[in-house]
Amino acid sequence: MFLIRREISFYLPWLSSPFNVTYETMAATGKVLVIIGLCLLPILTNGDTCLAPQIKSQTYSTPEAIVSTETVLIVEFTVNCKNLLKNINLYADVLGRLIPATKTTEPNKYQISISDEHKKLPSGNYEVRVFDEEGFASLRKAQRSGESTEALKPLFTLTLNHPGIWTGSIVQTEFVAAITAIVVWWFAYTSRAKLLA
Amino acid sequence: MKLWITALILTFGCFIPSFGEEETDARLLASKNVLNQYLVEGKDLTVEYKIFNVGSRVAFNVLLNDNSFPESSFSIVSGNLKVEWERIAPNSNVTHAVILKPLKSGYFNFTSAELSYHTSEESRERTLGYTSFPGEGGIVPQREFDRRFSPHVLDWLVFAFMTLPSLGIPFLLWYSSKSKYDQSKVKKN
Repeated sequence: MFLIRREISFYLPWLSSPFNVTYETMAATGKVLVIIGLCLLPILTNGDTCLAPQIKSQTYSTPEAIVSTETVLIVEFTVNCKNLLKNINLYADVLGRLIPATKTTEPNKYQISISDEHKKLPSGNYEVRVFDEEGFASLRKAQRSGESTEALKPLFTLTLNHPGIWTGSIVQTEFVAAITAIVVWWFAYTSRAKLLA
Repeated sequence: MKLWITALILTFGCFIPSFGEEETDARLLASKNVLNQYLVEGKDLTVEYKIFNVGSRVAFNVLLNDNSFPESSFSIVSGNLKVEWERIAPNSNVTHAVILKPLKSGYFNFTSAELSYHTSEESRERTLGYTSFPGEGGIVPQREFDRRFSPHVLDWLVFAFMTLPSLGIPFLLWYSSKSKYDQSKVKKN
């Protein structure tokens, strides 16, 4: 009984002081409170994991190579949990790299940035697997023991589409213009030669 | 007597705890870099922040705030200039990137961003720090950049169109006379 009472006063601090009084004076109300507390316990202890997260995401990838020296991929996302959790710590797994999600000033908005050389981040779809604290711990554990992390279920997965960087046109326009001029000249020259023959 | 004093000082000197050798707190080093070959007005500018924890403890509530980009000269394309990490483990690093768009051309001095954190979970005071500063950079006007790097497709099309009469008119004259000649040749046969 003492254990339960302690647990309740831990989870429901606002109940602890009136509860102490009722426990001594009215046993019946105390019992009712204990039962209510026990019913509430699973909900309260479950408060660490985000239930049914709704995600709004926005991505960015470097479009041009002429200006930038490295390819940068950015994912910004907002998480809304069904159980109204706020400010949880999230971690992302991209290409086997573990990145802590950066919190922004807006509530529940996070950012993940990845930067590397142009060659190391080719065009394509990148899978960003987002884990919470618990999932991150098991991910680290699996990585340490050398197991595959594929089987671990992330909180949610985001896809980042990188259309690739534009490194400039393959053929320069000056070259195209010169080729056209030569073709026109060659056509004129051959027809003149035909006339003279 | 002098020897005695120096000996005494030396012996006591050995007992003075050496500072700086043993780092028992979190210690963050931060760099700020502009990942651009050219800074061009109206084109994406990438700013990258890297924070290293060189201490031996976890840094808590790390707050990075960059006020060095005035709204009148830069607009944010992607990313955030004020961000927070709950913790940064010792001997690890985090990377953060922001994409900005310069609205004006000319020289701009890229200064450092502010960094503040708790060196341990119990500490009340925030430790303040600054990132490195990339220094002054010249932002090229868009027109100048296009003159050097754009493919000039339109310019070449205009050029082709302008050369068309000097080539096309003689060709048409020749072609019409040729077809007339060919027809008469056919009639003769």
